[in-house]
Amino acid sequence: MKPQSTHGKPGASGIRAGLTGTSSLKSIDWPALLATAPFFMFAIVMMVMPTAALLATAFVDKQGGFTLANFAEIVTPEVADAFMASAKISAVTAVLGTVLGLVLALTVGRRMTSQKVKAAVMSFCGVASHFSGIPLAFAFIATLGRLGLVTVFLRKAFGIDIYAAGFELASFSGLTLTYLFFQVPIAFTIIMPAVDRLSTQTREAAEMLGATATQYWRFVGLPILWPTILGALALLFANAFGGVATAYALTGTAVNVIPILLYAQIRGDVLHNEQLGAVLALLMVFVMTVTISLYLMLRVRSERWMK
Amino acid sequence: MIRKRMTAYLTVGVACLAMPFGAHADEMDDLVAAAKAEGQLTVIALGHDWCGYAALIQGFKDKYGLTVNELSPTAGSGEELATIKANIGNNGSQAPDVIDVGLVFGPIAQKEGLLQSYKVQTWDEIPATAKDPEGQWYGDYYGVLSFVVNKDVISKSPADWADLLGPAYRKSVSLPADPRTANNSILSVYAAGLAAGAQPGAAAARAGLEFYRQLKDSGNLVPGFGSAASIAKGETPITTRWDSNGITYAENFKGNPPLDTIVPASLTVAGVYAQAISKYAPHPHAAKLWMEYLYSDEGQLGYLKGLCHPIRIDAMRKSGKIADDMLTKLPATGNNLVFPELSHLVEAGEVIAKEWTSTVGAGSK
Amino acid sequence: MKFVLRYSPWTIFAIAAVFFLMPLFSTAEFSLSIRRGVYSLDAYESVFLDPEFAASFFYSLIIAVLTIIFGTIIVVPMAYYVRLRLQWLRPVVEIFVMLPMVVPPIVLVFGYLRLFSSSSVLPLADSSAGASILLICGCTTLSLPYLYRTIDTGLQTIDVQTLTDAAGILGARPFATIRLVIFPNILPSVMAGAFLTFAVVMGEFVIASLLTRPAFGTYIQKIGMSKAYEPAALTILSFAITWGALAMMNVMTRFSRRAG
Repeated sequence: MKPQSTHGKPGASGIRAGLTGTSSLKSIDWPALLATAPFFMFAIVMMVMPTAALLATAFVDKQGGFTLANFAEIVTPEVADAFMASAKISAVTAVLGTVLGLVLALTVGRRMTSQKVKAAVMSFCGVASHFSGIPLAFAFIATLGRLGLVTVFLRKAFGIDIYAAGFELASFSGLTLTYLFFQVPIAFTIIMPAVDRLSTQTREAAEMLGATATQYWRFVGLPILWPTILGALALLFANAFGGVATAYALTGTAVNVIPILLYAQIRGDVLHNEQLGAVLALLMVFVMTVTISLYLMLRVRSERWMK
Repeated sequence: MIRKRMTAYLTVGVACLAMPFGAHADEMDDLVAAAKAEGQLTVIALGHDWCGYAALIQGFKDKYGLTVNELSPTAGSGEELATIKANIGNNGSQAPDVIDVGLVFGPIAQKEGLLQSYKVQTWDEIPATAKDPEGQWYGDYYGVLSFVVNKDVISKSPADWADLLGPAYRKSVSLPADPRTANNSILSVYAAGLAAGAQPGAAAARAGLEFYRQLKDSGNLVPGFGSAASIAKGETPITTRWDSNGITYAENFKGNPPLDTIVPASLTVAGVYAQAISKYAPHPHAAKLWMEYLYSDEGQLGYLKGLCHPIRIDAMRKSGKIADDMLTKLPATGNNLVFPELSHLVEAGEVIAKEWTSTVGAGSK
Repeated sequence: MKFVLRYSPWTIFAIAAVFFLMPLFSTAEFSLSIRRGVYSLDAYESVFLDPEFAASFFYSLIIAVLTIIFGTIIVVPMAYYVRLRLQWLRPVVEIFVMLPMVVPPIVLVFGYLRLFSSSSVLPLADSSAGASILLICGCTTLSLPYLYRTIDTGLQTIDVQTLTDAAGILGARPFATIRLVIFPNILPSVMAGAFLTFAVVMGEFVIASLLTRPAFGTYIQKIGMSKAYEPAALTILSFAITWGALAMMNVMTRFSRRAG
């Protein structure tokens, strides 16, 4: 991944970028690399090594010999369905979450001037971003469940029975709604600082130059925010993809997502098949890698466009 | 007479060699001394409101002065085995000494070589069907599968499995957990199958799956799992659970909402749980002392106070240690209580785990 | 974007407020219903009277702060240099930081137990302090995606190259540059990452319970096993206290920025 977009171009990063653009040993920036050592040491010891043992099991059969046969085990309708379910809910909640988070960030950051409100919303989103699993599922059951507050209120005050009309909280749409409770705050938290910078730097400049609101957004605002928006999309997708507790707590066995299958294999219950669990984990890592690569490609292109 | 095996131990820093024991009293004294030298015990998956474990653990601590490390109170049986495996070679306080698992998991753990044998002093009073002849695992208590009903939401409680299919119970019936992995849910499906008249084993498992399929098609099945909170909120007003759970919830709720714990009239199963000592236990003497404590009269009565049926209940009733008035809180059972054979449980477990998704779960149409 | 600008910001805000506050309101209503027919604070009382509540909450609080500090220390220099001079490392870093999102925490902790068991080179699992260190490492791993994403966003919005050059001209060595120039400029982003990390740690229970650490998440799980109203009360309490703590962090940062 050479930064060819800046290679040779005049600008602050021109010369240095040119130097690090090649990959020969002499021109690798050793002091800078050293500064990143703590992170990589931590990541390798505390993250890669523990996971490597699990992932290695994917290539091992029950007797301990090397094999690729385990991968055949995931070619089942159940795994395919679970994968589609996981992909669907991750994609839908990532897009919805990012859009709504962006709207909220723009509303709170630019169109409302109260610092107190902004601070309250920021801290609320910090907490809400990890409100998940059983407490979140119960909160939604208490609101929209069969005897939830809103359900009962709608029935008593307006005679509307949402369950008779076909609504079901323990379904894909109910799960999407519940997921948004933490997806939107994460998107907001990521996008908010970027929106902050947007306000101070560019608004006045654009107004001075006579740009309309649409022109401003098309040529200044959105391009500046775009990398952050992409980052939020990727993070939200990963967040939903790897999550299991909320789906389990809300929909039980009605919606199968990949992590539920994974957990069943790893936790050593009746279904216990460590190799299958490892293959599923590897599959998830692969999906994440593809997602990240896509995100990086899009981002490099957008940063090029910005310059 | 108690037969013991000589076993070698891996622990560093704790000298543990099994000594040939003499008479009862001496053996116990030596065991207590050795356990006290170890100083601690690590247990796993013992929820405080489950079978009176809060009082049992405290009683053990008070009586022998040992520290008790409590791992993962919400762990399932399979997770207990996985935790033993993950801690092989580790003598810290994260390695479980003893496990309490669904009966099916005893032989599973034995096959994987995770256990060491031990026979408590009251060994002979444990029914033969609930223990391993070699002493690798042994039943400690059982629960009776019941319907736990929220009386605020359900005006007329179901009396039997067939009632659950009725129109009055739309969107009301649920399982306690995931039937692909949890003991109580597997047994719920199995019991439904047995009640439908199928042969024990795989046939009853499939009949049970059919029953839950009918529940789903008639709109009576709630996909979520029935926890204490969801029962109280009315989201899962009829849940199959052990009788001890139902009565404990009722006591905790204090009538808000009022709960009924009903044993299905035609047939229900007993869920036997088993104790075992990990082969890699860092504190093997403390583990053995814990077993002696649990299987003593004191321990078994502790289980009874926790609303579980102690495994020595028949022998203790005969010898008068358990009087009838102690059993009033537990729902009455008679010929409708079935103790499934281990081989049938293993079969049923596999069938339900494999076929649930396509029959009732996410894969069914 | 245009249609959004047409509506009053307060309308949008109100809709968002309803969506987020309604589930919390329902949980609170349920937690107050422990006594039949009347609303009461009995569930809250029973939670407060439980000594384990305060003990586990403060333990998790300390772990959260240590995790934030440790996480920031390892991520900020790395993110800075990757952005400045090591762009080729970016894909590697991105994949590394996304990994915790798909690795179940139980795999992490089982891995730690194998790597750091009593019979290994670094027997962290053997002692209580060592187990707490493992918990911090586990929580840092879980927070990495959020920490890196927010810090990277912050670095993207400031002109890192110019700032570094300016600091260099003024004679600052690299470490001082990071500490005195870069860090204060990305402080809002670091705070955002700290918020997310805080929430992660307060809710974490898988790693804590398998390391026998007395964390708040484990306590909440335990209570939920056979009680209905107390868990709801706990949910509201922990949400409120965490929100208050974060709001305070926010205020304190604002204050120090103004004073500094």
